[in-house]
Amino acid sequence: MRILNTIRELAQIQPETLAYISPSSEISYSELWRQSEQVADFLLNQDLQKQSPILVYGHMEASMLVSFIGSVKSGHPYIPVDTSIPSERVINIINSARLELVINCSGHEMDIDNSSISVVTLEDILLGQPLEIQVDPKNWVESQDNFYIIYTSGSTGNPKGVQISAANLESFVDWMIADFPINGPFRFLNQAPYSFDLSVMDLYPALVSGGTLFAITKEMIARPKLLFEALYVSNTQIWTSTPSFVQMCLMDPSFNEELLPNLSVFLFCGEILPVGICRQLFERFPKAKIFNTYGPTEATVAVTSIEVTVEMLNSYPYLPIGKPKEDTQILFLDENGNEVSTGENGEMVIVGPSVSKGYFGQQELTERAFSQYNEHLAYRTGDAGYQNQEGLIFYKGRIDFQIKLHGYRMELEEIEFHIAKSKFVKAAAVIPVFQNEKIDYLEAVIIPDNHDFEKEYQLTGAIKKELGEFLPAYMIPRKFSYHKELPITANGKLDRKTIKEMMRT
Amino acid sequence: MEFKNEVIALLAEICQDDVVKENPDIDLFTSGLLDSFGTVELLVQAEERFNILIPITEFDRESWNTPNNIANLLADRR
Repeated sequence: MRILNTIRELAQIQPETLAYISPSSEISYSELWRQSEQVADFLLNQDLQKQSPILVYGHMEASMLVSFIGSVKSGHPYIPVDTSIPSERVINIINSARLELVINCSGHEMDIDNSSISVVTLEDILLGQPLEIQVDPKNWVESQDNFYIIYTSGSTGNPKGVQISAANLESFVDWMIADFPINGPFRFLNQAPYSFDLSVMDLYPALVSGGTLFAITKEMIARPKLLFEALYVSNTQIWTSTPSFVQMCLMDPSFNEELLPNLSVFLFCGEILPVGICRQLFERFPKAKIFNTYGPTEATVAVTSIEVTVEMLNSYPYLPIGKPKEDTQILFLDENGNEVSTGENGEMVIVGPSVSKGYFGQQELTERAFSQYNEHLAYRTGDAGYQNQEGLIFYKGRIDFQIKLHGYRMELEEIEFHIAKSKFVKAAAVIPVFQNEKIDYLEAVIIPDNHDFEKEYQLTGAIKKELGEFLPAYMIPRKFSYHKELPITANGKLDRKTIKEMMRT
Repeated sequence: MEFKNEVIALLAEICQDDVVKENPDIDLFTSGLLDSFGTVELLVQAEERFNILIPITEFDRESWNTPNNIANLLADRR
C-alpha cells in the first residue's frame, strides 16, 4: 500500500511537521504514525471478523485521522461518520453493515442502544497499548481490499455504503499529485466533514505530499467571524471546498488575497461551479489557479478536471467539467446502452481503476449500477452530459431523482420515504425548487392525515422534528405545503412531474 | 414599523414559513428554519432590497437569532 508507505517515510523524514491542525487538537507526522500503530495493534487483538469495517464517529478531530490510518493498517476499512448524522441513521448503518466496533472521537457519549457493538474512544485504546509498537505491514489493506466505505443517500429510504478499495484510492491520489500543482509540501484547507468524500480530495493528497491539513469546523461555519479568524491564521495554500462554501466566504469583502496571501490553488467539486464565482475569485485572488472537477463517490471523489481560465468565463455560460483522468474513460450512452455521437447528450458511464466494486452488502443495488467493461469496472452515474469536439465534457443534470443541494447529494425518494412514515402524513412528494438553474431549496408537498394542530406551521414543526431523528438537517425540506389531494400516476404513486408543473403556476 | 414588517416578510420568504410572522421571537436556527445558506441569502437580500451591507463576519447566531432581533439589527444599520 503505497499511501501508507509514503506516510511512514514522511514520519521519519519530517517527524515534527504537523499533519493536521484542528481547533481542538493537532498532530505531527510521527505521532500520527505512532498512534495509528497502537490503534492497529488494538484492532488486531479484538477478535474482529476479517475486514469488518470500523465506524469512526466525530467531527474534524485529529483522533479521527489516527483512527482511519489505524484501521487500514490492521486490514479493516473505516466508515467515517460526522456528528451531523442523526443517531437513528448511525444505528441504521451499524445494523445494515453488521459492524462490531465504533471508535468515538466526538468527545460525547453516543446515543446508540445496541449491545452487539462495542464503542471505544481513542484515549481508551491508547491507554491500554504499549507506546512503541510496530504492526506488520502484511496486515495492511491492499489492492482490492476496502480502504474506506462512505455512506450516501439511498432511494429506498436507507443509506448505502460505497466501498472504496486501496487500489481505487491510489488511482485517485496518483492523479491528484500528477495533474494538479499541489505537490508541496503545502498547507491544505480541510472544509468538508469526513462523511462527505470531498474531504478525501484534501486528506490523502496532503498526507502523501508531506503537507498539513487545516480543519474548518461546523462551529466556525455557524459563526463566520470565527471562520475568518481561522482562515487568517490558516496560511492556506490549497483550497478545497464546494462552490457553495466559497460563495459564502465571498459574502465578506475581506475574503481576498490579503486574508490568504499564499493561496495558490482552488479545487472545486461536489456541484456545478458557477461562472460568477470564478470571476469574483480571479478578481480577489489574482495569483491563484482555479480547477473544476467532477465525479461521484462511486468513482472515488473525482474523475474529470479542467483549469478554469478567464477566457473560458467569457466563452461558456456554463463551465465544462473537463477531461477524464488518464487511466479513465467516460462513455456517453443513450437509453438503449449505445454510444451517442460527439456533442449529443448521454448518460455518463465511468470506466477505470477508481470505480468502486459496489455498495457494501447490497448485491442488487450494485448490479443495477455497476458492470464489467473490458478489464475495468464501469459505473452508470445517472448524470447526463456530452463531450464537445475538443473532448471537453459538459454536465447536463440528472436522469433520476438524485439531486445535489449545496454540494450534498441526496435521493428525493429517501426524504419522501421518511416523511410518509409520519403519522401526520397520508402522502408526500419532495420537489426541488430552482432558481437560475440551481436548486434553491426543497419543498415537501403533503396530503396531511388527521391532526390536532391549529396552524399549519405547528404541523410542519412536528413533522420536521420527526424527520430530524432520521435525516441530517441538509436533507429536511425548507418549505412544507399541504393539500387536500394531489395528482397520482397510473401505478398509484404521487405524480411528481404534474405536481411540479402545478406548483409553477 | 413598516421596515420591520418588510424584514419579517423577507424572512418568511427565505424560510418559506409563515411561522416567522406568527411568532417573531422564534429562534430561527434552533428551529431549523435558517441554516448557513439561508443566512447567505438573507445578507444578499438585505443588500439588494434595503441597501444594507453586512459583512458575513459580523453575523453570529446568538444575536441574529429571531425575526425581531434581525429586524432591529438591520434597522440600526440603515
